[in-house]
Amino acid sequence: MNEKKVLLIGDGARENALAEALSNNKVFAISSFINPGIKNVVERTGGKYFVGNINSKDFVKEIIKQVNPDFGVIGPEDPLFHGVSNAFYEEGIPVVGPIDKDAMVEKSKVWMRQLMWKYKIPGRLRFKSFSNLAEAAKFILDYGGSVAIKPSEQVGGKGVKVVADIQAYLSNEKRQALSKSVDEIGKYVADDEVKIIIEERVDGPEYTLHVLTDGSSYLPLPLAQDYKHAYQDGIGPETGGMGSISGPKNLLPFINEEEYERSFNIVKMTAEAIEKETGEKYKGFLSGQMMLTDLWGPTIIEYYSRLGDPEASAIIPRIKNFGEILELMAEGKLSKAKIDLVEEPSVVRAIAPYGYPLNKSLAKGQKFYVDLQKIKEKGCILYFGSIALEGNELIAQGSRALELVAFGDFDEASKKLDECMTYISSDRKIIYRTDIGRTINDMVEKAEIVRYAYKNREKHGILGVSADWSPNGGLW
Amino acid sequence: MAGIVGILAFDKIWNISKFMKYSLMGLQHRGYSSSGYAILNDKISSGHFSSPPEDIEINEHGWAGIGYTGSKEGYPIVFDDVALVIDGVIKEDPKIIAEKVLSSPEDLKDVRGAFSLIALTSEGKIIAYRDESGLKPLAIGGFGFDMAIVASEMTAMSVIGGEFRREINPGEMIILDKYNIESKKLKEPKKSYCSIEYIYQARIDSFVNEKSIYELRIRIGEELAREKPIDADTVIGVPDTAIPFAIGYSRVTGIPLDLGFTRTGSPIRTMLASNDFMKIVGVQLKLNVIKSAVFGKRVILIDDSMVTGTTLKNTIFSLRKMGAKEVHVLIGSPKLISYCPYGVEVPQSSELIAANLSEEEIAKVLGADSIYWLSIDGLYKVIGSKQLCLGCMLNSYPKVI
Repeated sequence: MNEKKVLLIGDGARENALAEALSNNKVFAISSFINPGIKNVVERTGGKYFVGNINSKDFVKEIIKQVNPDFGVIGPEDPLFHGVSNAFYEEGIPVVGPIDKDAMVEKSKVWMRQLMWKYKIPGRLRFKSFSNLAEAAKFILDYGGSVAIKPSEQVGGKGVKVVADIQAYLSNEKRQALSKSVDEIGKYVADDEVKIIIEERVDGPEYTLHVLTDGSSYLPLPLAQDYKHAYQDGIGPETGGMGSISGPKNLLPFINEEEYERSFNIVKMTAEAIEKETGEKYKGFLSGQMMLTDLWGPTIIEYYSRLGDPEASAIIPRIKNFGEILELMAEGKLSKAKIDLVEEPSVVRAIAPYGYPLNKSLAKGQKFYVDLQKIKEKGCILYFGSIALEGNELIAQGSRALELVAFGDFDEASKKLDECMTYISSDRKIIYRTDIGRTINDMVEKAEIVRYAYKNREKHGILGVSADWSPNGGLW
Repeated sequence: MAGIVGILAFDKIWNISKFMKYSLMGLQHRGYSSSGYAILNDKISSGHFSSPPEDIEINEHGWAGIGYTGSKEGYPIVFDDVALVIDGVIKEDPKIIAEKVLSSPEDLKDVRGAFSLIALTSEGKIIAYRDESGLKPLAIGGFGFDMAIVASEMTAMSVIGGEFRREINPGEMIILDKYNIESKKLKEPKKSYCSIEYIYQARIDSFVNEKSIYELRIRIGEELAREKPIDADTVIGVPDTAIPFAIGYSRVTGIPLDLGFTRTGSPIRTMLASNDFMKIVGVQLKLNVIKSAVFGKRVILIDDSMVTGTTLKNTIFSLRKMGAKEVHVLIGSPKLISYCPYGVEVPQSSELIAANLSEEEIAKVLGADSIYWLSIDGLYKVIGSKQLCLGCMLNSYPKVI
């Protein structure tokens, strides 16, 4: 039996899934609160659970010295931005997760876009960055065309405004609102000089391709799709993701083999470009949050320097040997890794407290009740997310509290989720979507529409070529 | 007859007033002699007009609101803490409805009537309910990450760049606020979808009562061709509603399709026109015949419905004046013989030509060479379901109100 020691950093549902996958090892973990799911794995495997600041390099170093793990796994992005990965290397311990310099690909959207243009990576979008908020607001008012406005840094999907400016009669209203939003978006970026990035807006079905790399080999994982809207039927504000799907096999029903290969190539090219730029090999997950667009076909919306959440909950349980793969990656032997995949799809439903995502203080403190045994009997997997075990009670921390996973074809899995939901309750209203995994046909149709267009562009040699012009603003 | 809409922005940076106006324009084919809005900022403010949405200006600023376009005056009905719009018929005092909305919205399930309703409360909730008959349509959609929209038809969403998501089920209530969208099944659906909605009322780019309207109307034309093939030189649909029927008829028979008419001014739906004078203006201006399309030809003229017959009589007269050799009339709906208790403006039997005269007599009155109505069975066949209200065609009504 493998009795290696692994140190896992993070506290969400993704880390709960990672902990389960790593449970052939002795799992040690650091979280900012006691996640009941991670705690369970730690206890089962004879590891130890530490509570503390997961973004503190010094604190993590201290624990590394105490545990002396064989390798580490870092779940969320914030520790990566703070150099927690560097801390492992400085202690001579291999780790899954890029060093801070390389994690820039996620941390700074401007850095990422500049990189893509500099190295002519396909799937890149036009962008402009602004330090001065007034200038950004003016740009929005002056320019024609549809835009996406984002904080220049990764702040957990907050503050993004995407508006298609197709109806000229509403153009003014939309631009007024967007230019008002600039101040709010700018506030999310604390220290950086560049506050806002404005990108050309594209449309199409979204998907995520996670690629694991040890710096020399690349292992693409099965595709996943996450559902960003907070409320039922794809309505409502943006969230970190209210659910996800993965499969069947390596693909999704609306992305074909060729598009998968192209997406993989884009991510690989990016990892190589990062190495050229920083001088350091990219090691860990590099995940393309992508969209199939009429402009490019596979297109990069954002990069993650880690696994997406809730995509991770859809993917990890489908890969039977995920723990071993992580270990091989850490040891630099990823070329030996082969994915042992559950072919049937998975569907994930995130469950959040009332108030999420617009009012997290309202959402914080909500109690949840879970019948774990019954959920297992019904054939679902439950991962604990932003929810702490305080005494004997499950207390929501303000974000998505639970992620429920089921396997089967999409309909079957969705029905299973409905059944398992009856074993989850709360002292207040809970927010979740029952339509996840039930809109596959719409996605297939959406993909077909953009596929005609990008294939045509390709034929005419204008793939990725776009521009906007407006009378007052000129050409962009 | 009415189009109703509710819009809620999740972020107060949005001013929805223009969105409201254009949304309502996307519904004004459902009725337009009156329009109105109620918009919430700190409190509810409202406006009422005796003109269509395209002619109104909404100067209020707000982040949530409801709107109305239709044939009744006084909508939205505004109280201190709630405003209401209704498509259909309600037998209860609006004040009582308003109280229900505020205290226990679930009680709307007991309201007598056939209706879809949207309410706006001063605390920022939009409550939408479609009664279990589904006689009146209602749909839900979104606008990016920024707004939720409920409306009679998806056309209210597409004109503002929103995304139609689905229809609200008969008997289903939606409660919308910043923090949640809740769906409650208050009653088991007893679907009896309005057949006029399919044949005439909904817009051709719409999806209503589980069907794509354009596709369905093409199939009505195809069905007419199977039921009543006529030897003729051209097929002409009366604009705008009957054009898809004509396309379908032409496809099956191989008889070429022509545009027989052009119009002057903006489209006036004669069935909805507010008074008789407007009806005449509407008919005669909108149906100006294109001579070269009909001169010397045997014409198949297809219309969507026939109420008093006046409109058609004038139309046929104009066609003959421009040299049509024969005029055969096909109607894309079964005979209208009875009133509608659910708010569709079908008059009493005494005013309905098909309820009073034989086919031969009608042809004589109209000056047509022949006349034929789509059969009831044909309509069922095309729609593919018997969960339909055919009250105005059968004089038998699915819901007592």
